[in-house]
Amino acid sequence: MTTTDTLTQADPARSGAKPMIELVGLTKRFPGTAEAAVDGLTLTVDEGEITVLVGPSGCGKTTSMELINRLIEPTSGRILIDGKDMTHTNPDELRRHIGYVIQETGLLPHRTIAQNVGTVPKLLGWDKARIAARVDELLEMVGMDPATYRGRYPKELSGGQRQRVGVARALAADPPVMLMDEPFGAIDPITRERLQNEFLRLQQQVRKTIIFVTHDIDEALKMGDRIAVLRNQSHIAQYDTPENLLTSPADDYVSDFIGTGASLKRLNLSRVRDIEMATDAPTASVSAPVAEVRAALLASSWTSLLLLDAAGRPARWVTSRDLARADQGAVLAEVGLPVEAIVEPHATLADALDELIASNVGCTVVVDGSGAYQGIVDLETIMTVVRTVRDEYERFHLAQKLAQQPADGQAR
Amino acid sequence: MADTALATRATGASDRAVPRRGGSRLSWFGMPVLLAVILGATYLWVGSLELDTIERRTLNAEQLTRSTLEHLHMTAVSTAIVIVLAIPLGVLLSRPFARPVVPAVLGVANIGQGVPSFGLITIVILWTSLGFWPMIIGLVACSMLPILRNTMVGLEQVDRTAVKASRGMGMSPLQVLLRVELPLAFPVMIAGIRTALIINVGTATLGTFFGQGGLGFIVYNGITLNRTPVLITGVVLVSALALLVDYLAGALGRLLAPRGL
Repeated sequence: MTTTDTLTQADPARSGAKPMIELVGLTKRFPGTAEAAVDGLTLTVDEGEITVLVGPSGCGKTTSMELINRLIEPTSGRILIDGKDMTHTNPDELRRHIGYVIQETGLLPHRTIAQNVGTVPKLLGWDKARIAARVDELLEMVGMDPATYRGRYPKELSGGQRQRVGVARALAADPPVMLMDEPFGAIDPITRERLQNEFLRLQQQVRKTIIFVTHDIDEALKMGDRIAVLRNQSHIAQYDTPENLLTSPADDYVSDFIGTGASLKRLNLSRVRDIEMATDAPTASVSAPVAEVRAALLASSWTSLLLLDAAGRPARWVTSRDLARADQGAVLAEVGLPVEAIVEPHATLADALDELIASNVGCTVVVDGSGAYQGIVDLETIMTVVRTVRDEYERFHLAQKLAQQPADGQAR
Repeated sequence: MADTALATRATGASDRAVPRRGGSRLSWFGMPVLLAVILGATYLWVGSLELDTIERRTLNAEQLTRSTLEHLHMTAVSTAIVIVLAIPLGVLLSRPFARPVVPAVLGVANIGQGVPSFGLITIVILWTSLGFWPMIIGLVACSMLPILRNTMVGLEQVDRTAVKASRGMGMSPLQVLLRVELPLAFPVMIAGIRTALIINVGTATLGTFFGQGGLGFIVYNGITLNRTPVLITGVVLVSALALLVDYLAGALGRLLAPRGL
């Protein structure tokens, strides 16, 4: 089925990927406790991937992460980064080459944003000019105006801005590996959503190898290239791509953890760029003569036409009634409805659906990075995805049922 | 002491969007003006009196200056020593490995705080001999606890996530202490230093009983010779000195406090 193929996120080419982080039998036993906090965790993370460790609180996911940068020294086991054994190197030196983002950001309140972002470069002994240039570059990268923010203190920033600074700080010395411990956990849902999207876009540029800890399965499905569902003592229940996790959970623990609504969750996995969007919508320039616009609308099967501004960005939706009003002297750029629902190609279908429901025209406009029009996603497109997922899900359960049938039959 | 420290911190913290050093004009200039008024009024009042020879023997510029300098000397030396001793000790005690000995050390420091200072200094002097240094040892014992305690409390209330993030970025434990923990603990520590200063200014008044002079000499003369102007001058000078020293320490604390807190 071609739709299925386009819907599935391109599986990272396992053959070409090289392992960046390898954990081998990593174990931590705290003194005075009977059970190990982390028991023999073995995990390989490929270069440029986001691996999410997800599990209920107390399952040892944060401890596992802190074993990697050795904030907690492992009792036994090995940590390999880029093929080099890091288990017994100088931990401070190791940490300077691993980006680290934590939930409460941990920004230093007595230091300016610039000083905070420049912490690791300073530890590495970069000169002042290089640090300053890097700080500005990073603030720019996380969407904060350097001139405005570099001299401010953390308490003058909102929670979302602080978390952005936290990410910028972790990227400062351009470490190949990043550890993120519930980085968006303490942020309101709307800002979290935005930060997640921004971070995914950033990741497209920087291609870091990331281990990301969360207790939120939806966040895991959205952020992860691969997800490790953990149970007690960091035992891996399933280590798989988000798609496989949803369609073929390894056991009851995993399917309980994923919860209901797998097909809706799937919308969080499919990105707008992976589906076929409608590109046949009629468009015209805002500055075009009304007659020309009407001709374009008439030539199409659509009832509305999308006006684009000089840079090709969507401006307004107009119907034939709006065009009639334009005939009577109204300015074309002021008739019709403003385009409100806009997403970029890396947005998930869930984002697109959100926008679509909130919009006034029942479809979402897709734009590229510079805001130029690319295509349209409507409810029909999204429903197709949901239907496909449900089919797959049902086929999986049907197969399971069939597999169990003979045994059940004999029991009766 | 912890309460004092936290209260000072709470009122000292500003929630203004742009952190500026210090507070209102009143908080900067109120105390110096008040002190100038009180000292000026005392000066005018004493000047208007007909002093007898006994009074004049104490109330003259040379004697007053000498007593004030002796007093300041005792205060400065004892406070400097107590800072040098108590802050490193407080830092050590706040490290995880020192946890078992904390109650014992605090217990000893509590003795210094709890035993009446007069008795404490007497014990030290009986133990050693009369002199400047035994007096200083007594003062140090009396004012140890506030700085020790506030250093520990100050370090304890440092945001754990800031410390964890700093470690996670590759700062060594010493770098975390110097660049993160001490700056963040500073406001609480300075409150402890102010308390110690006030204790030392007050207790140094007892220096006269141990042959060390100071402003206690003037107060004591006023009492024994039954000369009210002498007594009042002594009391005003001691109080003014205590308030001035506290004000200066507070101002210094505000100027040095890390911004952004």
